[in-house]
Order: sequence, then C-alpha cells, then structure tokens
Amino acid sequence: MDSIEIGLVVTGGLLVFVILGMRVAFAAGLAGMIGLIWIFWARKGYAPDDFGWALTVAVKTAGQVPHSKVSSQALSLIPTFILIGYLAYYAGLTRALFEAAKRWLAWVPGGLAVSTVFATAGFAAVSGASVATSAVFARIAIPEMLAIGYDKRFAAGVVAAGGTLASLIPPSAILVIYAIIVEQDVGKLLLAGFIPGMFSAVIYAMLIVGMALTIKGFGPPVRGFTWGQRFAALPAALPIVFVVITIIFFVYNPFGGDAWGTPTEGGAIGAFVVFLMAMYRGMRWPQLRDALLETAKLSTMIFTIIWGVLIYVRFLGFADLPGAFADWITSLTMSPMLILVCILLAYAVLGMFMDAIGMLLLTLPVVYPAVMALNGGPLVAAEDAAFGMSGPMCAIWFGILVVKMAEFCLITPPIGLNCFVVAGVRDDLSVQDVFRGVTPFFIADAITIGLLVAFPAIVLWLPSQV
Amino acid sequence: MAGGSQVLTDDSLVSRLDRGLLKLETLLALLSGLAVFALMMLAVVSVGGRNFMGQPLPGYVDWIEQAMPLIAFMGIAYAQRNGGHIRMDLVVGVLKGRALYLAEFVTTFAILLLVVLMIWGSWAHFDRSFDPAMPMWSRDSSMDIGIPIWPAKLLVPVALSVLAARLILQLWAYVQAISTGAETPVAVPLVLDAATVAAMEASHVTDPTEETRKGAR
Amino acid sequence: TEWNVSLWGKRRAFTEHVEKLAELVSEKTDGAFTMNISYGGLSSNRENLDGISIGAFEMAQFCAGYHADKNPSITVMELPFLGVSTLEQERDISMAVYKHPAVAGDLARWNATLLMPSPLPQYNLVGLGDAPSSLADFEGLTVRATGGIGAAMETVGAVPTSMSATEVRQAMDSGVIKSASFAPHAHMSFGTIENATWWTTNLNPGTVNCPVVVNTDALDDLTDDERAALLGSVDEALDHYIDYYNNQTMAAWGPALDERGITRVTFPPEEIEAFKKAAAEPAAKAWIDANTARGLPAQELFDLVTGMVADGS
Ligand code: NA
Ligand code: NA
Repeated sequence: MDSIEIGLVVTGGLLVFVILGMRVAFAAGLAGMIGLIWIFWARKGYAPDDFGWALTVAVKTAGQVPHSKVSSQALSLIPTFILIGYLAYYAGLTRALFEAAKRWLAWVPGGLAVSTVFATAGFAAVSGASVATSAVFARIAIPEMLAIGYDKRFAAGVVAAGGTLASLIPPSAILVIYAIIVEQDVGKLLLAGFIPGMFSAVIYAMLIVGMALTIKGFGPPVRGFTWGQRFAALPAALPIVFVVITIIFFVYNPFGGDAWGTPTEGGAIGAFVVFLMAMYRGMRWPQLRDALLETAKLSTMIFTIIWGVLIYVRFLGFADLPGAFADWITSLTMSPMLILVCILLAYAVLGMFMDAIGMLLLTLPVVYPAVMALNGGPLVAAEDAAFGMSGPMCAIWFGILVVKMAEFCLITPPIGLNCFVVAGVRDDLSVQDVFRGVTPFFIADAITIGLLVAFPAIVLWLPSQV
Repeated sequence: MAGGSQVLTDDSLVSRLDRGLLKLETLLALLSGLAVFALMMLAVVSVGGRNFMGQPLPGYVDWIEQAMPLIAFMGIAYAQRNGGHIRMDLVVGVLKGRALYLAEFVTTFAILLLVVLMIWGSWAHFDRSFDPAMPMWSRDSSMDIGIPIWPAKLLVPVALSVLAARLILQLWAYVQAISTGAETPVAVPLVLDAATVAAMEASHVTDPTEETRKGAR
Repeated sequence: TEWNVSLWGKRRAFTEHVEKLAELVSEKTDGAFTMNISYGGLSSNRENLDGISIGAFEMAQFCAGYHADKNPSITVMELPFLGVSTLEQERDISMAVYKHPAVAGDLARWNATLLMPSPLPQYNLVGLGDAPSSLADFEGLTVRATGGIGAAMETVGAVPTSMSATEVRQAMDSGVIKSASFAPHAHMSFGTIENATWWTTNLNPGTVNCPVVVNTDALDDLTDDERAALLGSVDEALDHYIDYYNNQTMAAWGPALDERGITRVTFPPEEIEAFKKAAAEPAAKAWIDANTARGLPAQELFDLVTGMVADGS
C-alpha cells in the first residue's frame, strides 16, 4: 500500500473509533499513533525485525506533539476566553444585559424576543462558548417571554439560536482554534467575526419582527419604559462595553493611534476587568474555585482534542494526504463556488452528529488546504483568485463560514447541543419542543450563510481595515 | 456528546479508590485553573509594566509557553473521571447493561493503550531536554530568555500517568459491571441521555446573581 | 533511497539551497536518491533536531537561537557584532565552525551531522516614527529583538520586547513596539516594512545561524555513490542559495524601501564602534564563560570565528 492508501485506511478507522463512542481526542491520537507505526514500518518493507524500530520512532514522534503544540502563546487565548465567560456569571452581567436590552428594544413587534437576541449578542462579547450562553438566557429570558404570552416553543428557540452568536462575536474559543490550525492571524480572525455575528443577530431580529407582524397574537411589544428607566439600566451592563472596548483596542485602535497591545493581552485584560467586577459583586474563593475548576475542565478537554488530533495530523503529514486531497479537489471540473457550497453542505451534515470543535479539528487539516488551493493557493493575489480575494483573506472568509456552519449545527437535530441545554433548564419543555421552536432560525441562518458567501465584504471589510 | 456526567459511589474498594484518586485529580485540575489565573495576572503586569513603567516583562512569551502545559495537561485525569472528554454517544447511547459496559471496556482499554505509549513518547521528549551534567540540567531552552524547558516537558508524562491510573481503575469497574451485570455501576461516568447531560451542564450556570447575593449576605 | 526533509513555512530564499540540493542529488543518481521536502508537515521548527535524533526524517533545517541549550556550540555564530559583512563570509565561517570537532560532537548528541549553513545577512532595524539620527535616539525605543541582539539593543537604552515573529506586524501597527530587527527577507515576509518610516543600513548587530543537518545513521546507510552525490552537491547548492539571495531577495529590498518612502539611516563609524564596544565584549565574555562551564572549548571557537573575520576570509 502506498502512503496515501494507508492514510485513507487509518482515516476510515478513526471514523469507526469515533462512531463507536471512543472519546474523540483519544480516538484521533490512537489513529495517528497506529498510522505513524504503519507508515514507518512500511518504509522498511514490513521486515519483522524492523517493527521495534518503527514502533519506537512512531511513539517518540507522537510523544513530542502534546508539549510542542500546546506551548503556544496564541493558544493561551482559549483558557482566558473561557475564564471570562465563567467570571461574567458571577459579575451578574447576564441579567443586567437582558434588563437593558428589554428597556431599550422591547417596544418593537416581538420585542422581548428581539431583546433576547441582542442580550445574547452582548453576552457573546464576554463569553467564548455558545452552550453556556444558551443555558443562562434560558433561565432569564424564557420566563419573561412566557409571562406575556409567547409560544413556549418559540421562546426556547430564540434562546437556543441566540446562544450561537457567542462563537462569532469575539472573544471566541473556536475562532482561535481555527486560526491556530490554519496558521492565520488570530487578531484578524477575531475582528472578522464581529460584523457577521452582529449581522446574524440582525437577521434573527428581522425574522422575529417579520413573524410578529404576520402571525396573529405573536409576541406583543412591551412599551412604557421611560427614558429615565432606560438610562438607569445601563450602568450595570457597562462592564460589557468596557470589555468589548478593551478587546477591540488591544487588536486595533479605531482612532488611528496606538493600540494597547496584542489580542492575547486584550483577552487577559478583559478577564481581569470582569474578575474585579465579580469580586465587587461578592464573588469569593468558593465561587472563584468553581470558576477555575470549570475553566480547567473545559480547557483540558479542548487541549486534549487539540494534541490528539495533531498526532493524527502529524501522521497525515507523513502520508501526504492533505496534499493529495487538495490535488483531487482542484482537479474536479465543477466550478470552485459549487465545490465550496458542497463542502459547506458536507459540514452541515457532519455537524448534525459531531461536536463543533472536534469537527473542525478533524476536518480542517485536509479541507483547508483544498479550499486554499481552490482559490488559487495561499499567496494568490485577489485578481487571479477563484473567489476574488487574496489567499489570507480567503483563509479568514472560509474560517467565518465554517464557524458559522459549526454554530448552525448546535441548533439542528438530532444532536443540537444548545437545544438540549435549553430543554434541560426548563422542565416544561421537551427537546422536540425546542427543535420545533428553533426551526425558523434555520431559515435565518441559511440566509446569513448565503449572504456571507455571496458578499464576502461583510466578513472581510473590518479585517482589511487593519 | 458533551461535558458533565454522573459517577455513583458506594463503600466498595473500587469506589473508595475512585474518590481517593479524585482528590488528587481535583488538586491537579485546580492547579490548572490557577495557572489560567496566573496567565491573566501576567498579562496585567506585562501591559502595566510596558505602559506605565516603560519596561515590559522580560521573556513574557517564554513564561506563557511554560505555563501552557500546566493549563493543558494537569486536568486531564479529572476530565476523564467526570466524563468530560467529548465523544459521540449515538451508539453507546442505545446500548444497555453488559453490552454497554463491554463496549466501554473496549474503548477505555484502547485509550489506555494510547496513553501508555504516550507516556513512553513524552518521557523520551522530556529526556532529550534533560541532562544532569549541564548547567540547570538543561539540554533545551526557551527562545528569548533561555529558561530550561525540561520542567514543562516533564508535566506531560506525569499528567498522563495519573490518567493511566484513572483508566485502570475504570477498566476494573467495568469488569465488575460486566461480571455482576449491574445497570449503574460505581466509579465510572454513566452514559446519560443528552437531555440529562444538558441539564447537568446547565446547573453549572445557575443564576449567579442570586447565588452571589446569598453569598454576600 | 528516499529521504524525508523537514523544513517549515513555505518555499522561499531561505530554503533554496535545500530545494537545489534535492534537485542535484536526484540528477546525479539518476533518480535513485530522492528527497521528499515537507514544509511543516513532519515537525514544528523547534522540534526538527528532536526529529533528526529520533530518526523520523533524514534531513532538517533549524536555527541555533530557537534552543541555545540544544546546540550551544553553534550559537557562537549568533553573537552580536562579529563583523561578518557578506553572505560568502558567513558561509565560509559557518562551514569552518561546523567542521570543528567540538561542534560536531555537540550535534552528535542528536545523532546529527551538520551539512551546510543557510547564510543570512546581518539583522537591521525597521521602525516607525522619527528616524533615529544617533545611537542616543535609541533611548527608550521599543524593539522586537530576541536573544543576543536584544541584549545588545539594551546596552544603548532600547527596550527589547519578545514576541513570536507572526505577532510582530500587528504589534508594530498597534504601537506596542516601534521597531523590529530581522534580516531583509523576513522584514518583507512578515510585513514589518508596510507602515515603517526608517531602516538602519549599518547597525549590523548580528544574525541567526540556521544549519541544515542530516541524521548520521541515514548518512552512513547511503551507498557510496549516493553519499558522494549528496556531499558533492553542497557547494553548488550554497552557490545557488547565495546567488538567489543576493540577486533576487536583495534586489527586491531596495525598491521595496523606495516604494514605501522608507528613510535609510546610516550611522557614522565612530557611533557603531561605540555601540560595538558597549555590547559586543560583554556578550562575548558571557558566552565564553557559560559555554566553558558546559565543557565546550568556547574560547577556541570564539577565536576561530573572530580570527577568520579579521583575516577577511
Ligand atoms: Na464570544
Ligand atoms: Na446538530
């Protein structure tokens, strides 16, 4: 067997491990380990005496990966972003945001649902994780919507969909992971997520207003807040603004002067601000200990997938599978745009069954070089490129598309995790109810993704300003 | 698919060992969380030093790189104990009783196999960077300020060894479950349906304002 | 025989000698000995020496400064203000250092044999804001400079900051640092010149040394013809590399500066001499002391290099 066939067989084996329920991180690591042993032994013509040599070289090659790959400054953003999210609960930011959004926005048709969407978008600015966002807002927003007569399924759907905004609007752990895998500028990718995230929120809001105007008895507007009440709601939500401004100013100074640091530092300073806020709100060691343990658990989970998958990726490097796949994709006679749409559809299907981070880590090492090759190579100039954008810009655009797909999968059956979380919080809702309620948002997401594909400027305008 | 899981306890030996090991695992995980906290403080010091004292923290990147293995590896056994490493439970979710625990035994054994090989490989990686005959025992140093890297590399086999102990304990518990035919054995993360998992995950984020207000009172 | 070669990044001036070597070796052996060059697929750049030691691949490139303790002997070539002025000189002195038994022994700890250097010109600073007119203007200047160059900059009052090369552009754009030190090709590929206003032509504080090594066992396992083809192609590969660097990269450098209206700052010789005095001697002394403690003939290596520079070879 040549190395590419070995690559395909081991990849098939990996899928079997994953489907059988082996923890994804270890399944990938084991597949990589077996693949490395195989490929080194094959180089010696499978001589029985050389198996020991192949095993040793493979084990030592794999053994470098965890320390080598994890000791990265860029990856240090992930735990900091996770910590910000946990500290934000203790800082009381969630309720403050919802209250402010309600007083300012609830007067429109479907007002409370619209407020929920923008409150989740605001919380997304401090939270790097979608699932956590849905869980909090299920407690805060659903009861208020039900109290004024919203359909309970729809109320749950709003919260499930709103949670997905957390991974596009910076900070976002998943965008950092994408940047690391494809070796692109983390700061630019985080910046690039901002407008598509807000754009998604606006599309959600327009959908809600549209439904409120056409469906009888749907989500009445909530009026009667005075300007005094509106402004009174702002101070409690201000730390969010402060954190957003901090993170933005650490990436890029909109006023043209000096920015304050690097994204890595911005994330850490943001976390520190929220930490002080939480201390002020009464967080003490027991709560901090919980926040730290939860941060550790989630970070370890993510890092274990990262090094596990990178062992597999190291094996792919020896098998040269990504190169072969890229050659195959570029040899297809279909139009590049059609191929890209097929790739996105494949993500939609895969995402129905897989976790977002695991899905990206497993597929990107092969898919990303192929997409870049499709565009004309990593260094192609915009005028020569298939998608009309330079290589680095294509990397950013594809990243936002893929992350949006991964987020879309958090609300699709059968394993839309956000929907399970919402159903788990509310005893009166079944998972089926939430999936029913979230269905309109599929349409909103499909429209968003279509527009991001058709008008890449939505994604690329902000990062190209830097 | 996700995060939290439930581990039952009783007075049996395997369960007592489970809780004993959990104490160590929790301590290591907390160390990982504290390292995240330290990372945050390090950035505050670095930015503050640069902007207010005109003196950035020397070797800031080197220190971050040294802290990352603490964050990334120390909680690995804790996460395995609590079923925190993600997986697809489409197949295991429909299995029950002996069939389920046989499947769990097989995949856990496969993990143990990988982990044992990785202990060997990561130890070799440490060993190449370690030389008692050299100043600071160092045969590999960081790029900017030249601090020895062997302590950070040593963390990997150490953390994986604790994980190996955890896996052996889980294998033992699965063997017991298979031999007794228990539906809900102790000392292993139980396969819960996705809704239960989600409910548990949601319980981590119980309304914080209420809680802290209570705490403050 | 097929060898795997571990490089990183993408094909560029810095890797042309390896590409050329692969071409020559395959030609001379009628395709019996080929090299499969991978850019980052087989290892990360800081682990290339580990990969050679393990035997995961047969040839690799790395830079001494990535991990001084892995290869203390060749970091002599990275000392500040050695006075090397051309790529040819950098090449000759590197080759002489690589042939020294203590250096060969140092790399033998990794089962590695030094094959050839990747000669780079002296680093210089690219910066934003007002161009410095004398060394006194470096007082308080934030600069991305690592290791020996960073230490040298500190002696004239600059504030060295460390960050990975990929973060440098952003750090400059955002004002975290005002200047950065690289070789010209890296200033171009990391984009530090995009918004810069000045460039120092003759600061020449030093450079990095990035050898290409082979796994010693693999070298021994080659047939005599193959080994002759490999070792006999090194000179031609290096000629090609230097020609490419001088005539392609450096040819693009001047126009790249002009296009962006970047001021060239040249310091008077007495200033450079003063800088050298303040920075070079303490660094050399510290290096010699530290490496004598490691059991290396550090003084001898240092004298070898400075002697060749003095001879103008
Ligand atoms: Na976010
Ligand atoms: Na799904």
